Amino acid sequence: MAALCRVVSGLRYRVRLSPRFLRNSFSSDSGPAESPISGFSAAFDHQEVLRRETQSNAAGPKASSLDPELSFAALLRRSPLIQMGPAKDAVVVGRVFRVVRDDLYIDFGGKFHCVCQRPAGADGLQPGSRVRLRLQDMELTARFLGASTDTTLLEAQAVLLGPLDGREHQIRD
Amino acid sequence: MLPAVSACLLGFRYSRAATVASPCGGHHYVTAPSAKPPQPQAGDVTEKILNQPLEKADFFRVAELFSLKDLFDARVHLGHKKGCRHRLMEPYLYGCRLDHDIINLDQTMEHLQLALNFTAHIAYRGGIILFVSRRRQFGHLVETTAKDCGEYAHTRYWQGGLLTNANIQYGPGVRLPDLIIFLSTLNNVFQQHVGIRDAAKMNIPTVGVVDSNCNPSLVTYPVPGNDDTPAAVELYCRLFKMTINRAKDRRKQMELIHGLSAPTSQIS
Repeated sequence: MAALCRVVSGLRYRVRLSPRFLRNSFSSDSGPAESPISGFSAAFDHQEVLRRETQSNAAGPKASSLDPELSFAALLRRSPLIQMGPAKDAVVVGRVFRVVRDDLYIDFGGKFHCVCQRPAGADGLQPGSRVRLRLQDMELTARFLGASTDTTLLEAQAVLLGPLDGREHQIRD
Repeated sequence: MLPAVSACLLGFRYSRAATVASPCGGHHYVTAPSAKPPQPQAGDVTEKILNQPLEKADFFRVAELFSLKDLFDARVHLGHKKGCRHRLMEPYLYGCRLDHDIINLDQTMEHLQLALNFTAHIAYRGGIILFVSRRRQFGHLVETTAKDCGEYAHTRYWQGGLLTNANIQYGPGVRLPDLIIFLSTLNNVFQQHVGIRDAAKMNIPTVGVVDSNCNPSLVTYPVPGNDDTPAAVELYCRLFKMTINRAKDRRKQMELIHGLSAPTSQIS
């Protein structure tokens, strides 16, 4: 048991870095890794989960005030939206949630969705398929003459680069 | 405010006969002269049922229904661009990042808890709740939410005299809602929804989700948050539905415990 604790504390830093790296690579969540984990790593993960559960049970509803990682400032700072930087020409992964004839309504994790024309020959893009986009603007707004506030279109603007990984016909989610 | 509302509700719960219109705090209630006064023992127990939730701060434990992480994952903190910002929303904003406003979720947590607590108390006392939203994208969602918790929704065109001229438009003796919940406080031309001003005129408390381009001043319990993303609106609908159902179930439970166990009981 003592040996396990020492190994756990030694591996803690190494394991914590990898989920953050994964989160930055893909803007949408991908869930646990696809390759099956076995043996010691499975046992370690299980122990981590148990340890966190006991901690949260002990702390009760004030866990967020004690744990600085869960504060709003920390969550915001590590969110992909902030880490991305300016939205101009950023490449993101989106998910088609509605198709109206040739228009694809794509949600990429921002406040608004974007609407793109279906490119010729890409009939495999159905609701649920993932696509790559180059963002132009997160929200289309402009100040017109005589107005006191901007007029907003409630939409983002992006250029459709193509389906994710070139697998047009594979529908996820 | 709450004891006054409860006093009005006790006397005029299911009144249909239109004899005398007696305004009580802005609502137009009607007394039915043939209504029997409740019996003394039932009245005491009813008083106890009504006053018990007022003793605790969070009697319905609405703070357990959501967490900061839930709000964050539903993108509640995302506001509009800086140019769309309403001056009165500035206290609720955390900051502005690359021209996009970020709403302060710590404040949103507190405001949402107050709003849910108030909604639960209204539902516990048998009040009528009206969900209003003029966003066509979420009209069906709001209507199904209202149906699932046994309350009412109005997601279509708001006629001018709906609240202020109700006695003439819908006949005398109409009971107005006791709480109006706005899932979006703007109408389709980005002006403030008429219902907010009318509810304030008729002394009806309102709960409203105010985005960074909305005016929060007339809303009784504003909840600063995103009202454009489907994930956020689904979260609000789910929270309100759970709160109202929880409060109603609690009421039934209290009535059973205190012996007013008739399921067709009409005393509130």
